[in-house]
Amino acid sequence: MPAVQLFATCLGDLAFPEAVTDAEALLRRAGYEVVFPRRQVCCGQPAFNSGHHAAARRVAKSFVRAFSRELPVVVPSGSCATMASHYLPELVGVEPFEVWELSAFLVHAGFRPLPRNAGRRIAYHDSCHMLRELHISREPRRLLGGSGAELVPFARADLCCGFGGTFSVRQPEVSLAMADDKLAGAGGATIVTSDPGCLMHLRGRSEKVGGPGVVHLATALERGVRG
Amino acid sequence: MSLVDDFVANAEAVGCHVHRGAAPELDGAGVSTALYGLADTGSVVLAAAPDEPRANSLLPDVHVTLLREDRILPGLDELFAALGNDLPSALAIVTGPSRSADIEQKLAVGVHGPREVHVVLLSAG
Amino acid sequence: MADLAQPAPRFREIASGKLGDARIQGALDEATDRLMTNRIAAWAGLPGVEELRQRAHEIRMEVIDDLDGHVARFTDALEDRGGHVYFARTADEASAYIADVCRKRGAKLAAKSKSMASEEIGLNAALEAVGVTPVETDLGEYILQLAGEHPVHIVAPAIEKTAGQVAELLSAVGGKWVPPELEALTNAARTQLRETFLEADVGITGANFGVSETGSVCLVTNEGNARLVSSLPPVHVAIMGMERLVPTTVDLAVLLKLLARSGTGQKITVYTTLLTGPRRPGETDGPEEQHVVILDNGRTKLLRGRYREMLACIRCGACLNVCPVYRKTGGAAYSDVYSGPMGAVLLPLLVGLEQAPSLPHASSLCGACTAACPVKIPLHELLLDLRRDLVAEHVAPWWERLGFTLWSLAWSRPLGYRLSTALARLGQPLAGLLGPGRVWSRGRKLPRFGRRYRDRR
Repeated sequence: MPAVQLFATCLGDLAFPEAVTDAEALLRRAGYEVVFPRRQVCCGQPAFNSGHHAAARRVAKSFVRAFSRELPVVVPSGSCATMASHYLPELVGVEPFEVWELSAFLVHAGFRPLPRNAGRRIAYHDSCHMLRELHISREPRRLLGGSGAELVPFARADLCCGFGGTFSVRQPEVSLAMADDKLAGAGGATIVTSDPGCLMHLRGRSEKVGGPGVVHLATALERGVRG
Repeated sequence: MSLVDDFVANAEAVGCHVHRGAAPELDGAGVSTALYGLADTGSVVLAAAPDEPRANSLLPDVHVTLLREDRILPGLDELFAALGNDLPSALAIVTGPSRSADIEQKLAVGVHGPREVHVVLLSAG
Repeated sequence: MADLAQPAPRFREIASGKLGDARIQGALDEATDRLMTNRIAAWAGLPGVEELRQRAHEIRMEVIDDLDGHVARFTDALEDRGGHVYFARTADEASAYIADVCRKRGAKLAAKSKSMASEEIGLNAALEAVGVTPVETDLGEYILQLAGEHPVHIVAPAIEKTAGQVAELLSAVGGKWVPPELEALTNAARTQLRETFLEADVGITGANFGVSETGSVCLVTNEGNARLVSSLPPVHVAIMGMERLVPTTVDLAVLLKLLARSGTGQKITVYTTLLTGPRRPGETDGPEEQHVVILDNGRTKLLRGRYREMLACIRCGACLNVCPVYRKTGGAAYSDVYSGPMGAVLLPLLVGLEQAPSLPHASSLCGACTAACPVKIPLHELLLDLRRDLVAEHVAPWWERLGFTLWSLAWSRPLGYRLSTALARLGQPLAGLLGPGRVWSRGRKLPRFGRRYRDRR
């Protein structure tokens, strides 16, 4: 049986463990054994995006120590997949790993989603890294469509949700205004995103102001969004 | 579509009045002779010269420019190839009447330059 | 020099004010959305646009790699035509030269067309100080000048003003009531400024491009004011950032095909003018004297380093129009001159990071700017590099560096990660009271740290 290594990401491990569990379940359904290298911690992105390269390098090295090069690494996070594949190799001075964002891997593996979202309206939010650095925007929509969902386009799908890592606390007022625009642009549908950062920010805001549900892609596919 | 047809379509699209043969009777209009026309944008190219003062195409409300059909070039590339490095003191590529969208992003015509631009096409020779 | 420096809290303070104004939010949304949509349509209608962008990038980098050579060629070519060229190393040198040109002519009135470089050097204040009255003739800039304000967008400077506000400003000038209707406002401005064009002693413009082979200055406008300003007064002064040069007119065509399309969505602006020296013998109008002030003001510093690509900027505004942050905050939060992504990169480079420390972080790093730039400047990557410099140059506060260092020491090993996150989990009730947790929870629910994924497997 083919196998993959799962990179839970720090946010996934700490704040969205159910989404990571759902990602693991999806990979098993797709016919893969899922290995979880226990020495993994974080890709170093929070420090890297704030310009703290030495700190980022220290943490990124834990990624290099944890993961083997024998099996692909699958990540339920567009931003961490970008960090690990595009920036980490040069930062640490190593050869690139074979890193896949979850939805891209599932489509590549020919995964057929279960009809968990029949009759549900979903607005899919492209995280900026996935959209502009990984160029993965069709795959999540294909999977969600395959799960029976009616996909509702955002009013301005190109706009960032306003998380941006430390931006969310350096410029909180602007960050919140961007979140509010995103929530309002969902047309009342449940928001699904592939990135734990966007998820934490949009759900955090939505719960505070009574907006739409915000769900990770893995959860939407494995368990379905609530009506 | 010939170059002339392209020119006419694009010039009209940006708000020029295009006439063939006879110049319209317009009081107080400034009249100039164009050096070239550009088909892909409907532009006229005016070069300052002793008999072509800049003010003719700038100050009046209405500007009439005479353009020979055989002076119509496809676009900027051909224009600069034709001009080479021997440039006049002022070369104006004019595309339609003056405009601005600075007030509430709404289009206003005739802000400082002419409000009305007429291009009179003359056949070659 | 204009106030380009910006203490750390300024961005957040000004941004917060704009966020609370629903009318400004509407104006910013509508304007940026329209300009962005127009650019996208214009690019879609341009065959070979990607190759053109690449070629434009190469042309810009070719000049940046031999800027001294191009400045010298431009100077020779223009002086051959009877123009004067002055190389200004600093803002003050540029202003002083222009003030001197005015003084020598006994000038009292200067008609100005839009020039970001002139804003950058604070020219208007320098002219007023020597008894010359500068009048902005670009409609948006004129409105702002009447209001005593600064441009907030490099292409649509008065983006936040209403017709009502414009009517008040124009009415005050003439002493005659102007109704807040577009045609009436336009006519009033046209009439008010016509006198300026006819009576000005000196005309001052910027320069969108300079052509080094011919010594020409290229001006790109829609209103006609740059043509008027550079044709009617007896003296014309053009201020040009040194990086605006292109080698030949053939190269100029490449940039022109992209500039209007990227800035407003037009194929070409109404007036694209190429000026080469003062009037020639026999001509009855045009300036008797033409001066081109080539401005350095910190640009030379950038020529060899990691940030040289920023000099390729053609000031089209495309990055402002796609920026999710700019459309919420407007331009004033960034500075009185340059704003949006290009401002966030350029300003710290011109004035030094310690003078504009919050700008590289005034971005969520979404990358939309890079995708929109016609000359392919990797804007978001340059912002990331500036953030790195903030740390390397010790401009970032010591406690931020300490925080990340401690975090990285804990998180470089699984055990440290477990211990620190177990502590965090214990301290959760306090998270909303301190530090980033406190900032976060002012508008958002904090995420709950339960049992980690790795402990559930």
